[in-house]
Amino acid sequence: MRKISKLLFLVCSMALLGISCDKEDMPDETFTEGEFQGLSKYVITVTPIGTTGIADILLTADRLDQGTISTAGNGKEQDGSYRYYITHKGRFLSLLYGQGNPGAVTTYRFSPAGKLVKSSEFQTETVQVFTRVNDELLLIKVPRSGANETAGMYRIDALKSRIAGRDSINIVKLAANGERAHFTWATQVGNKVFAPYMSIKGCCNDAFGTAYPDSTWVAVFSYPELDLEKVIRDNRTSYLGNYFSNGLSVSENGDAYGFSSAAATNSGVVTTTRPSAIVKIPNGTTEFDKSYFFNVQEASGGHHISTHTYLGDNVFLLMMYETPGAVKGNLKMALANVNTKTFTWITGGPAEITSTSAAYNNNTLSEDGKTGFIGLNTTTGSWIYKIDIATAKASLGLTVEGGKITAITKVEY
Amino acid sequence: MYIRKLLLTSILLSLAVFAFAQPANNAVISGYLKDASGSPIPGASVKLHHTSANAISTTDGFFSIRNVRPGKHVVTVSAVGFKTKEQSFEVKAGEEKLLHITIEQSISEINTVSVIGRSASQEVNRQAYNVTAIDAKKLYNATLDLSHALDRVSGIRVREDGGLGSRMNFSLNGFTGRQVKFFLDGVPMDNFGSSFQLNNVPINLAERVEVYKGVVPIWLGSDALGGAINIVTSNNQHSYLDASYSFGSFNTHRSTLNAGYTAKSGFTVQVNAFQNYSDNNYRVRVNVADLKTGEYYPHQWVRRFHDTYHNETIIANVVVVGKKYADKLLFGITLGQNYAEIQTGARMVSVFGNWHRRGDIVMPSVKYQVKDLFVKGLNFSLTGNYNFGHEQNIDTVNRRYNWFQQYEPNNGAERERSMYKFSNNNGISTANLSYKINDHHSFVLNDVYNTFNRKGKDELFPVDEKYDQPKKVSKNILGLGYKFDYSDKWNTSVFVKNYAQRNRFSQSYNPSGNWGDVAYRALETTFNKLGYGIATTYFIIPALQLKTSYEKSYRLPETEELFGDMINLEGNTDLKPETSNNFNFGVNYQAHIREDHRFSFDANFLYRDAKDFIRPMLNPNQTKQTNGNLAAVTNMGVDGEVRYSFRQLFTAGVNLTYQNLRNNTAFEDGQKNRSPLYRDRIPNMPYLFGNADASLFFKNVFRKGNNLTLGYNFLYVHAYYLSWPGQAEEKLEIPRQFCQDVNLVYSLSNGRYNVSVECKNLVDNRLYDNFTLQKPGRAFYAKLRYFISK
Repeated sequence: MRKISKLLFLVCSMALLGISCDKEDMPDETFTEGEFQGLSKYVITVTPIGTTGIADILLTADRLDQGTISTAGNGKEQDGSYRYYITHKGRFLSLLYGQGNPGAVTTYRFSPAGKLVKSSEFQTETVQVFTRVNDELLLIKVPRSGANETAGMYRIDALKSRIAGRDSINIVKLAANGERAHFTWATQVGNKVFAPYMSIKGCCNDAFGTAYPDSTWVAVFSYPELDLEKVIRDNRTSYLGNYFSNGLSVSENGDAYGFSSAAATNSGVVTTTRPSAIVKIPNGTTEFDKSYFFNVQEASGGHHISTHTYLGDNVFLLMMYETPGAVKGNLKMALANVNTKTFTWITGGPAEITSTSAAYNNNTLSEDGKTGFIGLNTTTGSWIYKIDIATAKASLGLTVEGGKITAITKVEY
Repeated sequence: MYIRKLLLTSILLSLAVFAFAQPANNAVISGYLKDASGSPIPGASVKLHHTSANAISTTDGFFSIRNVRPGKHVVTVSAVGFKTKEQSFEVKAGEEKLLHITIEQSISEINTVSVIGRSASQEVNRQAYNVTAIDAKKLYNATLDLSHALDRVSGIRVREDGGLGSRMNFSLNGFTGRQVKFFLDGVPMDNFGSSFQLNNVPINLAERVEVYKGVVPIWLGSDALGGAINIVTSNNQHSYLDASYSFGSFNTHRSTLNAGYTAKSGFTVQVNAFQNYSDNNYRVRVNVADLKTGEYYPHQWVRRFHDTYHNETIIANVVVVGKKYADKLLFGITLGQNYAEIQTGARMVSVFGNWHRRGDIVMPSVKYQVKDLFVKGLNFSLTGNYNFGHEQNIDTVNRRYNWFQQYEPNNGAERERSMYKFSNNNGISTANLSYKINDHHSFVLNDVYNTFNRKGKDELFPVDEKYDQPKKVSKNILGLGYKFDYSDKWNTSVFVKNYAQRNRFSQSYNPSGNWGDVAYRALETTFNKLGYGIATTYFIIPALQLKTSYEKSYRLPETEELFGDMINLEGNTDLKPETSNNFNFGVNYQAHIREDHRFSFDANFLYRDAKDFIRPMLNPNQTKQTNGNLAAVTNMGVDGEVRYSFRQLFTAGVNLTYQNLRNNTAFEDGQKNRSPLYRDRIPNMPYLFGNADASLFFKNVFRKGNNLTLGYNFLYVHAYYLSWPGQAEEKLEIPRQFCQDVNLVYSLSNGRYNVSVECKNLVDNRLYDNFTLQKPGRAFYAKLRYFISK
């Protein structure tokens, strides 16, 4: 019996040994509010090669024009699978994308010591459109199929990282052609928000197909009321932007330029008869300038526009599809001056560009406005290239090892 | 098809020729071994004096020895825990002598604990395959389901999203999900649906559970990539009743009823019924979102509020034995249903309050066995089943919830509006032909045939129905094996398998581009692959066994991977089979110090080299998951177990598993540079884990025949990273887990009445198997069980 009690004691002490301090959730890195120091750093987001369902690693750098940076043992992991970014007011917001799930948003800032830290977390919805408007962000969730015909619109207070207001719009009524109006993106123009959309069937195993491939639409909303004021239409090119892709930017003098890839499809086949082009909405108006049409497809020798980034002084960096007539595949860089309607291929870039850093959140133009930066991914590596705007020459900047660059952005602190 | 028939016929003929080549004038002895109470004795050795002839009794206690010379003989029967018995007999030329032998238990070793007693399970452990068997009967008083019983086996890690009935992920030596196949009495469980799964079947249904790591024996057909689990249900030919009820924390109620009646003629009726219910309303610590502003109230303790799970299943079998047309003929039916509320998405920030799913199973089955077909030693068995059951996903409530159970309107549904209901209409048939030429040579031919024909509809979207064309799969796995038993000490098996699959489906498209205009393209894909393997074992001394095995195995894409689950998984009809080279080496050693202290040691080494892993990824517009042939992975692993017992008072064991899974994909799709993840450890996969257990037995407590058992179980899982270990500096990890369970069982009247109480997660550690998904804290359960057998 003594043996048994010894054994009992043994068992009990094993149990007690197992008591462990249950770790409380890791305390968030505390961000202390302070004055802006007038400094800035770059955040580079990288998806490790060969990973699926794993969010980007956040890397930080002091400069983009030289050096090497790697994800090996370096950077900050994020939770979730796909994330998208928008930078505003010294905040770097990382939006989780997941169909139907509440969209978790993590806000990062640079600490006074220049370290990227989590400053806040909140949740919205999984959205397809996010853009800066005044001190806020406007997020739009657009249903592409199913019984739901309402797009939700969320105003985010960028400084406080919280929802400030919300509204919604019926996208079938907006399209008014039996299809759905699917917002491609939204852009602040003056004191209004211009949201270009594509018409999509939203059904029939061909959700993004349309019977209306040769039209351009821009919905005009008041802000912050988000009332629909009008829809601007045109039929010289196709819809502006693309799914998850900005198609409208404003130059210094307040003119808005719209970019169409001319890539509308039906049953997976491109059916647009119009060319890929740039159109203009003059400052202060809510109409397309019928006298302005920049036929980029013609000027480039048959290439379609993929994305655009405004560099300044009427010059846009265009990513063009490499193969004439194609609306997918490898990319090629070009500069377009919308004032002079000149199109120039950029030389000195890498071959076989498969993807680039996000065009809609690239604020990395140099201080003097002479050099633009872009992250380029190829089958042999990823780099940030600097583009000399005057000469249309690209040259190697920061080498990024470990994965695909998804965004490059400057964050002030 | 014709070729297969031809092959079958020619093999049958050649087997028959072998058979007739045997000397015709020798005798055969056979019979059953029983103990004093009439129970069969498996695993006993039967030896014929002055010859090399011998046999080991089967699980029913059956043995047979061929080619016995006419004349007088003596047999020796020995079994652990029993007195050795000698019996003499005389046979004439060509006689088929029946010898039913009863042996007595040796008093000193009655109720020997598992280390010593060679139960049926340990008989399985002595095969050449890397196999571990759980003797389920020892766990009948526990409130375990099969998945938790398996979680205590080395090499296995069961990961759960939450409480009872929650989604689980099974991993065996690094192979997960569908890479491991499950069998019920040797029949693949591919088509059982959600109503009959490892996490809702109580341990009491099984007699034992066999875990084949890596190489799977030929008689378990089908296409397992990295191993198989075979659940063996009771084959008891007695009349018995085993009823139990348990209740406990989180409003959990479970009951089981297993009953059987066998008439003198051998006619048997068996009924297994079980039920599980739980609210799963355990406390979790979460950040709660404000519905208006989206801001979080940090670190709140809340109860789960929409996680009720219940299932009810009944299995009924009617068996006739010993007829002219069949040695055994079984007709059965499985009826069941389940209901599961969905509380969270893949992260606990996604909260749901109404979304749920349900499923049912209606599965008739038949089994047919005939022994000594045409010739002695040629046995044939055929099984078939067909599942008429359904699965349904119901998300119709226009709400977005938070953890405080507040809600607001949310675009028509909680996630994606659905009442999609489908039936997979799948059936499985297996045929097994075995021929034992003599004690040294035997052959097995096995064929498993699956059919699948999915049909479904969603009453919310009647227009979409016409786009939903039937999807059909037929799959056939044919295997041929040969086993050479050189002696008691050494045996070897070799086998080849043919894997064939044909997928037929049609894709809808929109030919004119007008809304609602539909046409279909008929598509077909086929696979045909050849796999092979070898397994051999050698006993250096009876207590020291070495075994090694190798297999080139394939797994064909599953129907869900090809066609999706119509909810969150999108099909990929371009998938290719995955393949792996599996190598195992194992050692088992039994030792004792005097009779009191007994030890057993098991150690296994394994190597896996797998290619074209079917891995989940996101579809192009990132709304659903789909699967692709992505990764190549190697795994070099070891696992081991040490057990000790002291008399009949105490037993303890510890096992530990280490697996070194490495990414073997040097060049990622579309990349010309070597991947930075090449040879990095596979993330989000436990790589070091183990279990320890100890039990104390007290005999005749308070009264003679009343026994008390105290048990303790400890689980350890080392922390692991959610993402690639070599990448990033600030990383997310799944923390180290310690979990302790204790139980106390009091059995009255030699096990007729049993009362047990259990505490799970004794010190209330916060446990995670999947990133941020918290498992239940401390929980208490009690179980009452009544068992009577004649």
